[in-house]
Amino acid sequence: MTLFEFLARRFAWSLGVVWAVVSIAFVVNVLIPGDAARLVAGPQARPADVVHIREQLGLDRPPLVQYARFWARLVHVGPRERPRERPRERGGDHTSCAVAIPLGRAAVHVDFGKSFQMRQPVVDVIAERLPRTLALALAGMLLQLVFGAATGVLAATYRGTWIDRGLVGMSLLGVSAPTFLIALVLQLVLARELRWLPLDGYGTTLGEHALCLVLPATTLGIYGAAYYTRLVRDEMITLLAADWVRTARAKGLSASRVVLRHALRNALMPVVTAAGLDFGALMGGAIVTETVFRWPGLGQLSVNAMLNRDSPVVSACVIVTSAAIVASNVVVDLLYGQLDPRVRDARAGGTR
Amino acid sequence: MTRGHASAGSRFLANRSARVGGAIVAALIAFALVGPLAARHGPLESDFVRGMAAEGVPVGPSASYPLGADRLFRDELARVALAGRISLVIAVSATMIASALGAAIGIVAGWSEGRRFRVPWATLLGLAGAVVAAALGHAGLAAAAIVVASIAASRRGAAGPRVDVDGGLMRLVDVMLAFPFVLLVMAIGAALDRTNAVTIFVTLGATGWVGIARVLRAKTMQVRASEYVEASRALGQSTVRLMLKHVLPNVAGTLVVTATVQVAQMIVADSVLSYLGLGISPPTPTWGRMLFEGQDDYLAAPWLVAVPGTVIVLAVWGFNMLGEGLRDALDPRET
Repeated sequence: MTLFEFLARRFAWSLGVVWAVVSIAFVVNVLIPGDAARLVAGPQARPADVVHIREQLGLDRPPLVQYARFWARLVHVGPRERPRERPRERGGDHTSCAVAIPLGRAAVHVDFGKSFQMRQPVVDVIAERLPRTLALALAGMLLQLVFGAATGVLAATYRGTWIDRGLVGMSLLGVSAPTFLIALVLQLVLARELRWLPLDGYGTTLGEHALCLVLPATTLGIYGAAYYTRLVRDEMITLLAADWVRTARAKGLSASRVVLRHALRNALMPVVTAAGLDFGALMGGAIVTETVFRWPGLGQLSVNAMLNRDSPVVSACVIVTSAAIVASNVVVDLLYGQLDPRVRDARAGGTR
Repeated sequence: MTRGHASAGSRFLANRSARVGGAIVAALIAFALVGPLAARHGPLESDFVRGMAAEGVPVGPSASYPLGADRLFRDELARVALAGRISLVIAVSATMIASALGAAIGIVAGWSEGRRFRVPWATLLGLAGAVVAAALGHAGLAAAAIVVASIAASRRGAAGPRVDVDGGLMRLVDVMLAFPFVLLVMAIGAALDRTNAVTIFVTLGATGWVGIARVLRAKTMQVRASEYVEASRALGQSTVRLMLKHVLPNVAGTLVVTATVQVAQMIVADSVLSYLGLGISPPTPTWGRMLFEGQDDYLAAPWLVAVPGTVIVLAVWGFNMLGEGLRDALDPRET
């Protein structure tokens, strides 16, 4: 199988996964009791207004029609130019909120629609939140890997000593503490007692954003690091016992060089896999961490949208999340081939 | 599996993390069973006289309130014990659902990996019907369709297309992994006015089987390749019989280990939901909710954070340690 064929297959399948996930989200949204129109109208609304809003949002149609219209709007072929706002027919649903991908004379429009609650294009809402979630995911991932690799290497090198036992015990404790508990302890100590860092929120300036990022990123870092500690430790122990490590030692290389340049490099394989998959999940928004720290990213957005029955926003969040996860799976597969020639050869040999 | 020198039981007792984990889990179960009965006050009783230390401040740990009182002057000990009972029931029930689903899917997938099996039309129709019924919200019809599908699947020689069963199941796993289930659980919790234990453990169980299925698939592929399976197949035993008599007992150890660790994860999931206010509705106590309510009073009443926080970590840690110990005892190839 050539690389191109491999990528094409994976891409097609990824689209399939995203389709399935979005459809499940749609079904869930239809099944769950509750009325989006009533939530949009507010508690004081007259029944006639609620009926009017329901018609505007298209929620009076049968679910299958809603589903068909949802896909017809999400992906459609239109003129190349992004159309100007057309006069409102049947409510605000027809003003275009599309991202256009040019394709010859026409263009493929990807249109997430308008948020029921916020009355603005979902694309804009997502575009505002995505960089924040990306920042949190990157910072959290970085801390996880740095903490995890450092403690894992340390534990493996001092295997069987109290350092090893202490680090392994701590990592098991770290795995056992739910994120909200780590968050709570950090908040109580660093924000409320010592007042070094803001308790939660996002701030208004770039400096404030950075300060507000510290606690949620550290929470993710501590929570995830525990897992990488164990992964790196186990992998390192296996590798340090290997023949080629003994050869490297016999050759007269220093201990630190053997550990860091030879063993750690090979131990990174499973770490890359795990980190890639984790990163995809983090991109969907670390829902609990974002909620506890009121970090206005995708996770918080999706929770609020779910609670408000704001289905265009929920669908968009689910699309972004699942796309991030399947994309990171593909990247992990590709990296695997790069890191391990054996995988690449097997793939080229056509044995799937 | 090679037979070690010692039996699994004595290896288990010799293992430190197994002993510690087992002791913590046993203590937790005992506490959850006896605690609510032994406490001097009911978990929902407010005592505005003895539960209050100063103006509006709950009393700290003392003789009559061993773990102090909460903001509404209720006994923290009675509450944390009752919450533990609920949490354990939810976590264990959810794990049982997830294990049953995960084992069934994992074993079938692992068994059919790399082969194409003839699947009767009735089975395919039944499964399709189950999906449609579930999508339309008829849980009963969906269950009936699944029963029809499994009966049809166990009949031999029925006509049907050859299907890559493992491929299909693993695609399902891909979809499950890409779906943000916290959202789903939250949505269900938010939509039902009063959430009870059953909704929570059914939702957690129905969404938590993916990890178990993957582990058991790999293990089944290992067992499938062994000689005794091949021998009994050569003797003409049916596939269903082979799975029940040979595969299931041989993957049971792995299942027990993953399930034990899964209980820990379910405790976390349950406490996350209740911390976010989407768990069982008050006044019924839950660990997550107690922590949430206690965090604002951490200066005046630090025990309201310390008690539920410690209990959650201990419970999760205990089940994790027990799982590790079981793994070492049941799977002696690792040192």
